[in-house]
Amino acid sequence: MFLKVQLQWNVIIPSESLDAKGLALQKAIVVRLLEDFSTKKATKDHGYFLSVTTLDSIGEGRVRQHTGDVLFPVTFSGLTFKIFRGEILEATVHKILKHGVFLRCGPVENIYLSYQKMTDYRYVPGENPIFMNEKMSKIEKDVAVRLMVIGTKYMEAEREFQAVASLEGDFLGPV
Amino acid sequence: MHHNIYLRSSDFLFLFTSIYFCPEFLKAKCLMNCEVALILERKYEQLQQMSDDPVNQVSQVFEKSLQYVQRFSRYKNPDAVRQVREILSRYELAEFELCVLGNLCPETVEEAIAMVPSIKSRGRVHDDEAIEKMLTDLSLIKKFE
Repeated sequence: MFLKVQLQWNVIIPSESLDAKGLALQKAIVVRLLEDFSTKKATKDHGYFLSVTTLDSIGEGRVRQHTGDVLFPVTFSGLTFKIFRGEILEATVHKILKHGVFLRCGPVENIYLSYQKMTDYRYVPGENPIFMNEKMSKIEKDVAVRLMVIGTKYMEAEREFQAVASLEGDFLGPV
Repeated sequence: MHHNIYLRSSDFLFLFTSIYFCPEFLKAKCLMNCEVALILERKYEQLQQMSDDPVNQVSQVFEKSLQYVQRFSRYKNPDAVRQVREILSRYELAEFELCVLGNLCPETVEEAIAMVPSIKSRGRVHDDEAIEKMLTDLSLIKKFE
């Protein structure tokens, strides 16, 4: 799910850039915010950071004692992406193994769908292995699948989310 | 600095993507894939105009998200996208529910309930007729896209 969130971040402007006044300083703050936003990648609470949408305010700058840099609290809105347990969404298959399938959904690279969670589908080995059910519905590479997210995990070190999915439910499966 | 700086977004339009669909969209906390597609496409265009190398200006997260929403948007036309938001906003739906319905476009009442079971939970006002009407209104937009 894509979310619009309002955030307040501290943007640090190095002392060398502080000669700039007025609009030039504002621009430096904004450019820095956009850089910080881009490198942040993700947090557990908000998910993956996509784009800043509006700038709401820049607060009073505070000088940092030892470095001479100035810290500005900036309030802004941004677009993020996060997946939730219980959510039904569409994802794309990128790997097929005999015990299950890996799918991706936007910036989430690894959603795992176990063979135990798609009991009417059977693994069909071969050069391009697939899962298939009696009605000839196929789960193969690059196919879109509608699934239910049954668990999620945030990995702090990698700044990544992983999830586990299921097809046990009505109207789920290849799209 | 001795004072707060209150910036108008218009001061930095070249850096931000301002997209206005309708009042409901401005208030929204969850966005549908089709809304996000228009926002990210506009942003990518801006970057192309500003830089020689737009591909290196965007993060992996941005790129993967853009690819995803372009593939999984049921509505492409900005007017259609606005209408979807307006129509769904008339029904008492939670933000999340609205977006799942707008993303998955269920065709029957049964499918809608399977996708968003909470719309039928105890205390909610939606009867099958209301859900049917909502789906019919949505399907009309697709016809005129």
